[in-house]
Amino acid sequence: MKWLIRTAVALVIVYLAMCGGVAWIMVQPPEQFGRIIRHLPMPIVWGVLPGTRLWLWARKGTLTEGETAPDFTLARHDRTGNVTLSSFRGQRPVVLVFGSYT
Amino acid sequence: MPELNKLNKDYGDRAAFYVVYIQEAHPIDGWQMEVNIKDKVLVASTRTPAERMDVAGSCVKNLGIEFPALVDDPDDKVERAYTGWPDRLYVIDRDGRIAYKSDAGPFGFEPSEVEAALKRILPAVAPAETKKS
Repeated sequence: MKWLIRTAVALVIVYLAMCGGVAWIMVQPPEQFGRIIRHLPMPIVWGVLPGTRLWLWARKGTLTEGETAPDFTLARHDRTGNVTLSSFRGQRPVVLVFGSYT
Repeated sequence: MPELNKLNKDYGDRAAFYVVYIQEAHPIDGWQMEVNIKDKVLVASTRTPAERMDVAGSCVKNLGIEFPALVDDPDDKVERAYTGWPDRLYVIDRDGRIAYKSDAGPFGFEPSEVEAALKRILPAVAPAETKKS
C-alpha cells in the first residue's frame, strides 16, 4: 500500500514539475520559446500536459478590454506609406489581425 | 483567412481592417511545422524591415488577403505591446479603446468574435442589408 502512495505522490510531483517547466518555456520570448519547444514531444505537451491552458495563461498579455490601445505607426506591406492607429480615433473602429505567413 | 475577408467585405465600409505582420511563428530556423513544409511555405526569421515587408507582401498575395498588412519593425515593438504572437485578434473602437481582445492564437483565433464585437460597437445595421422602407 505504501509503495502505491509513494508512486502516486512521485507521479504528481513529476507532472507538476513538467507543467511548471512547460509554462516557463511558454513565457519566454517567441524565438527562445520556439528554439526550446521544438525539441519536446508534442503529444506530451499538448496531450498529457494541459498545454493549451498553459499557453493561454502564458500568452495572456497585459492589455485588457476597455483600455486605450497602445498607439503605433507602421509601414504598409505594399510600401505605399505609413498607418497610425490613432488617426482612426473618432472616425472608425479598427480590426487588427496579428499574424505571420508561417 | 476567408472568414476575415468576408468580415472585411461586410464591414469594411464602416471599420478599417489591417493585418499586423509580426515575426514568423514557424520559421525554417526555428520551430518549423510539417504542414508548412508540405505547403512549401518556407520562411526564415525576418531581421530587417525590407525582409519582413517582402514576406508580408507574399503572405498577403498568396493567402488572398483583401486588406493591407502593417509591418511590425524587427524589434517587434508592436507585437510585444499587444502580445500578438503567434496570432491574435483585436477590435479597437472609435474612441481608441480595446473593444475586443482574443485569447492567444492559434487556439483563441476566432473571427466570429470579431464580428460580434463589431456588431456591438457599430450602429445597428445588418451587414450588406438595406433597410426596407
